[in-house]
Amino acid sequence: MKQTGSIKALLVKHEMILLWVIAVEVILFQVLGQNFLTAGNVSNIFRHSAEIGLLALVMTPVILTGGIDLSVGSLMGLCAVVFGMLVKVYGLDPLVAAGLTVLVGALGGGLNAGLVAGMGLRPLIVTLGTFSLFRGLAEALTHGSKSYSGFSDGFLALGNSDILGVPAQIWIVLVVGIVIWFLVHHTTYGRSLRAIGYGEEGARYAGLPVKRNISITYVMAGAVAGLAAVILVSRLGEARANAGMGYELLAITAVVLGGVSIFGGAGNVSGAVLGWIALAILNNGLTRISDYEILGEKVSSVARELSGLLTGLLLIAALALAICMKMLAAKRSAKQT
Amino acid sequence: MKRYSRELTVGGALVLLMISLAIFAPNFFDTQPMISRLASQMPALILALGVALVIITRQIDVSIGSQFGMCAVIAGTAAAAGVPMPLAMLCALVAGALMGAANGWLVAGLGLPSIVVTLATMVIWQEVLRLWQKGLLLSLPDGVQWFGMSQGTGQAMVIGSTLLILVLMAWAMKNLSSGRRIYATGSDAEAARLAGLAPKATTFWVFLLMGVLAGVGAALNLVQSPQIQPNSGEGLELKAIAAAVVGGIAITGGRGTLWGVLLGMMLLANVNPALTHFHQPPYWEKAIQGLVILLAVAADGIRIKKQKHLK
Amino acid sequence: MKYSILSISFALLALVSCKKSEDSGKLSVGFLLKSKGNQYFVTCEKGAQAAAKDLDIDLRVDGPINADPAKQNEIVENWITDGVDVIVASCENKDSLSTALRKAKQAGIKVVTYDADAQADARLYFANQATAQGIGEKLIDSAAELTGAEGEFAIVTGTLTSANLNEWIEVIKARQAEKYPNMKLVGIRPCDDQKDKAQQEATNLLSANPNLKAIIAVCSPGVPGSAEAVKQAGKKGSVKVVGLGLPSENRAYVKEGVTQAVILWSPEDLGYLAVQAGVALAKGELAEKDAKTFTAGKLGELQVEGDSIILGKPIAFDAKNIDDYDF
Repeated sequence: MKQTGSIKALLVKHEMILLWVIAVEVILFQVLGQNFLTAGNVSNIFRHSAEIGLLALVMTPVILTGGIDLSVGSLMGLCAVVFGMLVKVYGLDPLVAAGLTVLVGALGGGLNAGLVAGMGLRPLIVTLGTFSLFRGLAEALTHGSKSYSGFSDGFLALGNSDILGVPAQIWIVLVVGIVIWFLVHHTTYGRSLRAIGYGEEGARYAGLPVKRNISITYVMAGAVAGLAAVILVSRLGEARANAGMGYELLAITAVVLGGVSIFGGAGNVSGAVLGWIALAILNNGLTRISDYEILGEKVSSVARELSGLLTGLLLIAALALAICMKMLAAKRSAKQT
Repeated sequence: MKRYSRELTVGGALVLLMISLAIFAPNFFDTQPMISRLASQMPALILALGVALVIITRQIDVSIGSQFGMCAVIAGTAAAAGVPMPLAMLCALVAGALMGAANGWLVAGLGLPSIVVTLATMVIWQEVLRLWQKGLLLSLPDGVQWFGMSQGTGQAMVIGSTLLILVLMAWAMKNLSSGRRIYATGSDAEAARLAGLAPKATTFWVFLLMGVLAGVGAALNLVQSPQIQPNSGEGLELKAIAAAVVGGIAITGGRGTLWGVLLGMMLLANVNPALTHFHQPPYWEKAIQGLVILLAVAADGIRIKKQKHLK
Repeated sequence: MKYSILSISFALLALVSCKKSEDSGKLSVGFLLKSKGNQYFVTCEKGAQAAAKDLDIDLRVDGPINADPAKQNEIVENWITDGVDVIVASCENKDSLSTALRKAKQAGIKVVTYDADAQADARLYFANQATAQGIGEKLIDSAAELTGAEGEFAIVTGTLTSANLNEWIEVIKARQAEKYPNMKLVGIRPCDDQKDKAQQEATNLLSANPNLKAIIAVCSPGVPGSAEAVKQAGKKGSVKVVGLGLPSENRAYVKEGVTQAVILWSPEDLGYLAVQAGVALAKGELAEKDAKTFTAGKLGELQVEGDSIILGKPIAFDAKNIDDYDF
């Protein structure tokens, strides 16, 4: 019991650090940048990263089981194209089309689930395969070149308007977030995910429905990727096969930054959410740095150039930090006993 | 026989593809395009051989495409600055070794998961390249292309040295203790540790070797044209991993031969040329690639299940 | 821990507050690239910087660094909240960026597009390097001229999803059907904007179509890639290579006689023109519609057709004149 207590403390600590990171980011960008803490920009930060937020939320249960899903970005591309076709070619109501798109996403996730849980294959290679497959299907469906646009204003409002002063799509992220948080932290299902992440074999001997529970995480990831695709299309006003490229990396970064162990078993949803926010602020803030001249070099343009590089470095730093904290905790608990 | 079932299936598929090409598009086998095609596939094959070892040790490296690009540009810059060709190529190998060692240290030394580490280093090297080169096409001095020899000799050297590396690596994997160490690390790291085989060190060296091979691949790519583009490695990681997986490198680690990788690469790399020769539109390429990977992965799954049943 | 973070942030605060350059009240112009790691756009940016110097404005340049097409929208929306006066944009995804540009227009920002246009209602003018019509026709015309207007030809393109490349290809197809019935398009292959892939694709096109007479490359890495393939196949001269590209990347092949014609406008002038036009709009020197001509600084007076400011005819580089251009 003591063990879980200390791990819990550790996690809380990780989130405290993240909060500090976010605070420092905010202070830094407010001081260094232009118009950082304005209502318009704060709303931009969240509007532009809503899709990543959704993917990070559903990636959390997958990673908790010790799995990974590299196909979510490609699946978004496929779902965006499917949605565009349903609305523009088959003339479906956007709401119905959105429902069907989520279903297609769930089917895509189902393929991952079948191969990972059903056949016991490594998620890394399976989802690397579906990463190619989904994007390839999106390109094949549109012959690469076709795109769909001209959606109704009502539908575009989902991605571009505010409800109660908050970007409309953030409400969806909120709902999904609450559902995932409840599932992971307040149900036996959520507990089983961690048990699987700690040791699949052990969880199986304990009588947990391992296959079923792993499957659910991938199907959820697929369905929410479909939802994210719909939101992206409504924000951009265009459905094209290249939607969501590279989003899997950002989602994984957010989750790992949030202190969820990539080996599975440990981590929580609030951490992933904070990781997402920290990342979103970083990406936005770097573009707002105003002009300073240091040694004749414009700092602002350099800062804008760095966001990709920093995302990579941050990912490694977060991992290294998690390992260090694990070692410290191990030392501490060794002292206690 | 059964042991090499994957090699036989992939080889069979390759033979089928070749037969249908011979019937419907005999031009495919004209000497010059055949040799040019083969020579241009060799750098990817080298990467696939390296990543096969990485997969056998139960790790993954998705940064190899970025490493490849870095090595190519470093060697190209050196050559353009007047550094003699052998030395410029050495630069590529050293740069590769350093980048590989960085991955190896993070994975084996710190115990971080290779997928996330190499995703991060993939982005980092890619960004460094972009900031450094700004997308500029780099012109190479005369005497770099085909090692300063005739096209035929140069192509023969590219293909020959790749095959030499393949034979050496395949032989080493089978006969040297380090080869067995790699298999042992992948099939059961704990057992390997208890047997005194130092799985951590093995993992480190495999990542380092991967980096060196990325450098070799980049060098062999460099000599095939008079210019080098910084994004030359983009997407190569997926090609190489796919070839390794399709060629029978078991994704659960510890199994597979490099000859299978050769077959896997030849099969995958010729799907696209075959589409062109059958006069088919190009937009199915990615989907087919994904499907072939999944089929290969699923075949592995079935094999594992069967083995379990037999037990 | 807490204290160290606090002290670091205060130190930064102190460092920065003394260095901040003043808000000068200059016009601020956002210059949007399709992608940052691309020599073509790096050259466009050079022209934009030159215009910024001439006009004494505050220029910010940005663009996506990876393949994420949504990134352009984010940059534009951030500029809107920043209250820039002018946005000058080249569009990767035409329809999606139009959504963001319309918002900018509504916010009173003057929007000019260059290189790749948005929807007409999302901007005021398009700084046109030559119309899609002009580019496509020029390419097929020179291929026809070189091959005697008969025989097979193939196209090497960038990515299948690229909107303006597809537009040019459509023009090529239409023009060929109409004017050159004896020519036959036998294949369109994407090279993913990679020179090495273009070389492989062209090698395959050559061996799959032994009667091929010409390759048209509509993306810049495609031209040297195709040329290398033709050279390796020993078909120099018998298979013509034409394409859109920078002279610097093609000089060697053009001189050797592998590549017959490279067509391009000056990207530097294009960037210069686009920024000039945007600033003129903001200053009220250029009417928001129906202008007939526009005087763009050092470029002199240019024609306006409808809502396109025409940069001029594309330049055709060949062995004779390619040394005169240094971009």
